Amino acid sequence: METFLVLGLLGSTFAMVFSKRISALIGNFALQSFFLCLFSFMEALKGNHLGLYLISGLILVLKVILIPQIIRYVAVNIKSDENLGFFISPQLSLVCALVLTYLAWLLASTVFMGQPILIRIFGATAFSMVSLGIFLMIFRIIALAQVIGLLAMENGIFLLASAVSGGMPFIVEMAIFFDIFVGVVILGIFIFRINKLFVGIDVSKLNSLKG
Amino acid sequence: MLLLVIISIPLLLAIVAGLINKTRLVSSLIVLGYLIGLVLSIALAYHFLASPQPISLFNIFYADALSIFFVFTSSIIVFAAALYSKGFIELGLETGQLSQRQAKVYFILFNIFIFSILLVTIVSNLGLMWVAIEITTLVSAFLVGFYNNKNAIEAAWKYLIICSVGIILALLGTILFSYALLFSTGIRSLDWNDFITVAHQLDPNIIKVAFIFILVGYGTKAGLAPMHTWLPDAHSQAISPISALLSGVLLKTSLYAILRYSLIINLCIGKSFSSHLFIFFGLLSLLVAAGLILVQKDIKRLLAYSSIEHVGIILFGFGVGGKIGLYGALLHIFNHAVTKSLLFFGAGNLVEVFASHRLEKIRGCLRVLPFTGSMVLLGIFALAGFPPFSIFFSEFTILIAAFTGGYAIWGSLLLLLIIITFGAILFHFSNVLLGEKPENLKVSPEPWSIKLAFIFLLFFVIFGGMALPGLFDGLFRSIIGVFGAS
Repeated sequence: METFLVLGLLGSTFAMVFSKRISALIGNFALQSFFLCLFSFMEALKGNHLGLYLISGLILVLKVILIPQIIRYVAVNIKSDENLGFFISPQLSLVCALVLTYLAWLLASTVFMGQPILIRIFGATAFSMVSLGIFLMIFRIIALAQVIGLLAMENGIFLLASAVSGGMPFIVEMAIFFDIFVGVVILGIFIFRINKLFVGIDVSKLNSLKG
Repeated sequence: MLLLVIISIPLLLAIVAGLINKTRLVSSLIVLGYLIGLVLSIALAYHFLASPQPISLFNIFYADALSIFFVFTSSIIVFAAALYSKGFIELGLETGQLSQRQAKVYFILFNIFIFSILLVTIVSNLGLMWVAIEITTLVSAFLVGFYNNKNAIEAAWKYLIICSVGIILALLGTILFSYALLFSTGIRSLDWNDFITVAHQLDPNIIKVAFIFILVGYGTKAGLAPMHTWLPDAHSQAISPISALLSGVLLKTSLYAILRYSLIINLCIGKSFSSHLFIFFGLLSLLVAAGLILVQKDIKRLLAYSSIEHVGIILFGFGVGGKIGLYGALLHIFNHAVTKSLLFFGAGNLVEVFASHRLEKIRGCLRVLPFTGSMVLLGIFALAGFPPFSIFFSEFTILIAAFTGGYAIWGSLLLLLIIITFGAILFHFSNVLLGEKPENLKVSPEPWSIKLAFIFLLFFVIFGGMALPGLFDGLFRSIIGVFGAS
């Protein structure tokens, strides 16, 4: 089961890096969140704690359903071009993704030295999700990809929190969920504004403030 | 109890701003509210000094000397910003630059922003502290993009995205800290006090990696180079009272978070690790800021880069450490907050009158706006580090600490960079302040509340250098105790 989850998480993350269209990127993000939800549900089964069940439910509602819907809504409403816009081609991105994942494994092996192999693997998967989130934010041109990159980073952090430190205190976890949700809504509002003022959401046009 | 009242004032005022439609009444109530907040924070400080025990409430709130110092500093800047906002927004309404609805939104966001800033400094749970810092970003993004033009939206977007990435890295660091606690002691907690109690048992390797994530993450929000790129955009495009709050208070709250973590790591592996990182990032920030101040063409960006410079100086002071270094760094936090807020208010007035941010277009301010001009004149001398203004003394203290603490080479570099920015700032502002008065300029005199805000801050800018009230001294000694400096 763990192998399946790691493969699912890494596979969906790589699929995000390889996506050429917005709809594919959003779909792959929802898939990644779904695997995260499965993972936290398994943790809940193991720990048999109400809070953990609630958290996996929240991931399902917020990250698998609601947030992808919001992003789709934004994408449709601003009539954005389906093309993501690449600073680095998908093929080359995939090579970078492999390198970053290897580096993530090295980092996880150092930080989680002396821990069971499973924790190291989940740690490495989490680090790789975080670094690939940053990668998406930097090397994709449209603003929506930056939002999804940010969310992918957050997914990585959730994975890390529940895999290595047994999750965070419940109230903190709730507050973070709330923050993320509000953050996505606010980013959505700004994307509408950018679209209106700059005619499109190409972030390479946001370059007048310099020096 | 005082703590709860102080933190609930901004929430109440946000509700007031939402319910009442009369802008004049709302802005006056806000000024009154933050005056009460200021008095209460002074009372809190004295109360703490009388019985120096950390305040702990409901396992959520925690305030020791460090928190109380930050609450006190924030209260001063916030009161000044409330005074300035009153005049600034009312003037905007009169001239038709702002609509009633915008004014209402402004006052609601202003108060929520301040609530989140204060919250950062008084929560004991490091996860909640993260949440509070994230709220500051989300709320202030609207205040940065307030004018809703191309530049403002670009600045707000960069601010949101870069700071969100930074803060996610900080969350990663937070989780690694909690993992270290679980791994070494079996305790599952994010409470700062739990970390401090068992700090010496934590695994040094994990803590080192975690602290680097914290420093890079919160350092992004504190404006440390090379993660500073959002800062000049956001600070220059934000509505002027908010520019002052961003530079004066918000940067310091992120520093506060870094300091909290540095206390844990210092107990765990000794001071040299954090101290070297602080000195490195401090000097790098100074270097980047000095270069960009030299070639700056925009008045508010110049002030923003100067904030990066001063955050660098503060971090350097903490890096050098020791009693003198900490004393200087803490004093510098306060001095920079009051001086920079004063200058952002001044720059706000100038930008309104000249309708431009460009330094070459702003000329002859002492003739155009004698009051604002003279305030900016004094502020600039203070910022550049002229005696007898307060910043001179805190910079001097940090330099003494560096030269006597075995950091003479780095101290010399610091001095060199301070001198470069000193020259650059005086050069840029001599043209702004003196020079010929442009013709056909419509000038309306500053409202009384704006003048009052200037005078209030100027008091600290001048007298902060001449005599240090017992309150500061007591708090600083307490904080140095928290840091365990010898």
